[in-house]
Amino acid sequence: MIWTVAISLLGLMALSIPVGIVLFLLGIGVAQFYSAFPLLRGMGQMIWSSSASSTLIAIPLFVLLGEILVRGGVAERTYAALDKWLSWLPGGLVHANIATSTMFSATSGSSVATAATVATVAMPQAERLNYDPRLFSGAIAAGGTLGIMIPPSINLIVYGFLTETSIPQLFLAGLIPGLLLALAFVVVTALICIVRPALGGPSRSFEWSERMRSLGQLLPIVALFTVVIGSIYAGWATPTESAAIGVAMAAVIAAFGDGLGRRAIIEALEGTIRISAMIMLVIVGAYFLNFAMTSAGLGRQLSDLIGGSGLSPFGTLMLVIALYIVLGFFIETLALMVATIPIIVPIMAGLGYDKVWFGILLIVLVEMALITPPVGLNLFVVQGARKRGSINDVIMGVIPYVFVMALMVAALIALPGLALWLPSAF
Amino acid sequence: MADHILGALRRANRAVALILGVALILTVAFILTDVALRGLGLGSLGGSDELSGYVMAAVASWGLAFALLERAHVRIDVMRLKLRDTGRAAMDILAMIVTNGVVLLIAFQCWPVLQKTIERGSRANTPLETPLWIPQGIWFAGWLWFALSATIITLVALSYLLAGRRDALDATIGIGSEVEP
Amino acid sequence: EELSVVGSWSNLPLYQQFETVFWNERLPELTDGQMTAQLTSFDQMGIAGADVYRMLGDGVFDVGATVADYTVGDAPELEGLDVPLIATDAAEAQAMVEAARPMVEDIMRDRFGAQVLGIAPYPPQVVFCRGDVASLADLQGKKVRGSGRMTTKLLEALGAEGINIAFSEVPGSLERGVIDCAVTGAGSGYSAGWWEVSDHLLTLPLGGWDPVVIAMNADRYDALTAEQQTMLTSAVAEGLEAPAWQAAQGGLENDIACLTGDASCEGSRASMTVAPASEDDMARAREILVAEVLPDWASRAGGDWAARWNETVGQTVGLTIDR
Ligand code: NA
Ligand code: NA
Repeated sequence: MIWTVAISLLGLMALSIPVGIVLFLLGIGVAQFYSAFPLLRGMGQMIWSSSASSTLIAIPLFVLLGEILVRGGVAERTYAALDKWLSWLPGGLVHANIATSTMFSATSGSSVATAATVATVAMPQAERLNYDPRLFSGAIAAGGTLGIMIPPSINLIVYGFLTETSIPQLFLAGLIPGLLLALAFVVVTALICIVRPALGGPSRSFEWSERMRSLGQLLPIVALFTVVIGSIYAGWATPTESAAIGVAMAAVIAAFGDGLGRRAIIEALEGTIRISAMIMLVIVGAYFLNFAMTSAGLGRQLSDLIGGSGLSPFGTLMLVIALYIVLGFFIETLALMVATIPIIVPIMAGLGYDKVWFGILLIVLVEMALITPPVGLNLFVVQGARKRGSINDVIMGVIPYVFVMALMVAALIALPGLALWLPSAF
Repeated sequence: MADHILGALRRANRAVALILGVALILTVAFILTDVALRGLGLGSLGGSDELSGYVMAAVASWGLAFALLERAHVRIDVMRLKLRDTGRAAMDILAMIVTNGVVLLIAFQCWPVLQKTIERGSRANTPLETPLWIPQGIWFAGWLWFALSATIITLVALSYLLAGRRDALDATIGIGSEVEP
Repeated sequence: EELSVVGSWSNLPLYQQFETVFWNERLPELTDGQMTAQLTSFDQMGIAGADVYRMLGDGVFDVGATVADYTVGDAPELEGLDVPLIATDAAEAQAMVEAARPMVEDIMRDRFGAQVLGIAPYPPQVVFCRGDVASLADLQGKKVRGSGRMTTKLLEALGAEGINIAFSEVPGSLERGVIDCAVTGAGSGYSAGWWEVSDHLLTLPLGGWDPVVIAMNADRYDALTAEQQTMLTSAVAEGLEAPAWQAAQGGLENDIACLTGDASCEGSRASMTVAPASEDDMARAREILVAEVLPDWASRAGGDWAARWNETVGQTVGLTIDR
C-alpha cells in the first residue's frame, strides 16, 4: 500500500493537480481499494475535527504577523540593517538573507511564512545588485526553514500535541540547533564564495558609524521576539496565545513606524487568508489520508517494517532517518508529521530515545523535506516571489544547504546535548 | 458573460476573505483580553481556545475558494513547464475538473456531521456548552461555498477554452505564485 | 469473523497491556479461532476521542472504544456513568459501572447505533497539587486542571477554578504557577514526571474513573448469530474487562508507592505527601453532588434519566437526586 500510494502521489502531482486535492484523492482511493469499510463516511467528521483546532490557529496568526511586518516596512528595514553588518563577508548580500531569515524565524512559527517574508523583501535587491540567482534564492529557501526550528514553531507545537511532549521544552531544545544551523549556513556560503566568487555578489563594506546607526532598525524584531517567547516562559501565555500577542505587538511596531494604511491592512488580511487556506487544504487532506491509511493497516505495515527489521536501536534510528529523507522528497511536511509521528515516535521512545531530542532531529529532517524536490513548499514560495526564471535555479541553490542539514543530523546524534542541554538547564 | 460572473465571484470571495481576516483580529483581541485578565488575577473569560478552534474551522473552509481564485493552492509544475500552450491548458483544465469533483464529494460528505449534530442537539463538551450546530453550520456552509465557487470556475474556464481565450484561461486556472510580489 | 477494532489512547496501559493482548491474542483463543481482530487506536488514526462513537454508528469500523466522558457532547445522559468522588476504590467503581450498564446500553443503542460489549476503567483520576493541600476544602480559590464536564462543575461548586490545558503542558504550568493542581491517573502522573513539580497528592478520585465503553456497530452485532454474540461478549468480559478491573484494584497502591518514594517501588525518586480521603471530605463531596452537580446534570440530560439513575446507580452508592 505504501508504495502504491507513493507512486500515485507522484503521478497525480506531476499532473499538476493541487497537492491538497491529491491527498484527498489518495485517501479516497485507499478507502475504496484497501479497506472493506465505508471509510468515506468518516470523512466529514475527520475534516471537522482536524480543522476546528485551537492549536492550528497559530498558523494564520503567524502568517498575519509576517504580513504586518512586510506591509509596515519593518521587514525591509531589518534586511537593510543586516546587509550593512554582513555584506563584507564573501558572498555579500546572501548572508543578509540568512541573517534576516534567522531573525524572522525567532518571531514566526512557520517556515513558509518566514521564507515568504524574506523573499518578498530580498528578491528585488538580487536583481538590482546583479547576483547569481541560484545561491541567492537557495539561501532564502533554506534560511526560511529555520522558522520551524528556532522557537516559536508550529511544527514543534504539532509534534508536542501528537506525542504529549512539553511544547516549551521543545522550544528550548530547538534554539541551539537552530542558531548552529544558521551559523553553518553562513560559513558554507562564505566557503563557496571564496572558491567561486561569481556565485556570490560583491562584498561591500560599510562605515562603522553607519552600522551602529542601523542597529536601531533591529530593535523591533528583538522586541517582538522577547515579547512572544517571554510571554510563554513567564507563564503568561500558552504557545498558541503567544502568537496572538505577537500579532498585536507587530501591529504596535508598525503603527510606530510608517503606520499601516487602510489598503495595507486589507492586503495583509487577504494575504493571510490566502496563505493560510493554502496550507490548511494540505493539512486537512493529509489528516484524511492518514485516517484512511491507518484504517487500512498502515500502522501495522510501518511497525512491521521498523519493528520487524531486527535492527539494534541505532540501526533502527538510521532506518527511520532514511525513511524520513525519502518520504520528505515527496510528502508535504505537516502531512508527513501527522501521518508518521503517532506510529514512529512510540517505537523510538520504546527504544530509549528521548522524545524531546527526537522531535528536534525530526525537525531537521522536516526542514530538509521543505527544500528537496519534487515537493518542497519553500522552493515554491521562493520561486513564486521571484516570478522569473525556472524553479531549477532555486533547487540548484539549496543543494549546499541540504548537506549542512545532513551534517546537523549527524551532529545531533553524536551530541544529543545540543538539543537537550537547554531544556535540562531550565 | 463569463467575465462578469468571474468578476462577481472574485469580489464576493474578497469580501469573504476580509470577513475572515476581521474574525482573526477579533480572535487576537479575545485572546489578549483573556491573557491580560489572567495576568492581573481577575479570572478568565474562558473558552478562548474553543472559540479559536471554531474560527480556524471557518478559515479552513470559507477561505479555500478565495485561495483557489487567487491560484494559491500549491501545484507542482515540473511536467507542466515542459509542455507547450495546448498541453498546459489541458493540464489546467484536468486539474480544475479533478479539484471540482473532489470538492463536491467533500461538501457532500460534510453534511452528515451537521445533520447528526442537529438531530441530537449536540453541544460542545466544554464549560461553554456551545450548541455545535452554530460553528458546524458555518463550517459546512464554507465547504458548500467552495463547491459552488469551484463549479463556477470550472464552467467559466471551459467557456474560455471553447472561445480560445488562452490568456484568460491561464489567468483563471493557471499556476500562480504562492506569494504576492 | 475478522473485526476492525479502534482502541483507546495508544500511550496508556489500558491499550498497551490489555486491549492489545485481548484483541490480538486472547480473542482468537477464547473463540476457538472463530473471531480475529485488526487493532489500531483512535489517536493513531487521527480521530478525536469524541468522534469514535459517531463513526462507529456509521460503520466506519466494527468495534470502537473511547472514554465515555469524551462523548457527552452528543449524549449528556452518558455523564451519569462516571460521577466523580462517589467510588473511592475499584470495587465500588465496578459496582457503580455495573449498576449503570443497562442505562449505558440503551444510550449507546439510541444515540450511536451501537451495542455495548464491555466497560473497562482507567485508573482513578486523582489530584496532584503544588503547595499544601490536605483536603477538598483546601482546593477553594485554587486553579485546577481537570477534564470532564461534571468534574469542572464540581470544582466550581468547591470554589476552585477549572482550567483547560493539554496534558503535556501540565508540568510547566504547575511549575510556573499557571495552575495549582491537576487531575489525572496516578500512574500517568508518575510516568509523566508530575511529581517533580508538585508535592501533595489527594487520592480522592476527583476526576472519577474515566470508564472506557467498548461498543460494536449495532447492525454488525445484530447480524451475528446468537451464539456468536454470546461468545464475543463473554470473551470481552473474561479477556478484557476482568483483567482491566483487577489491575485497577492493585494499580493505585503501586502508583502511590512510587509517587511517595516507598521502598516497594524500585528506583523511585519521588517523595510526595499523600492526603488520603477523609470522612469529612466524602461527606462534603456527597453534599455538593446532591445539592448542585447531579441536579444540574439531570436538567442537562432531560427525560427520565434522573429517575433511572436513582433506581440503579443511586441505589448502589446511596445517593438520590431530588427532582
Ligand atoms: Na520560529
Ligand atoms: Na521535499
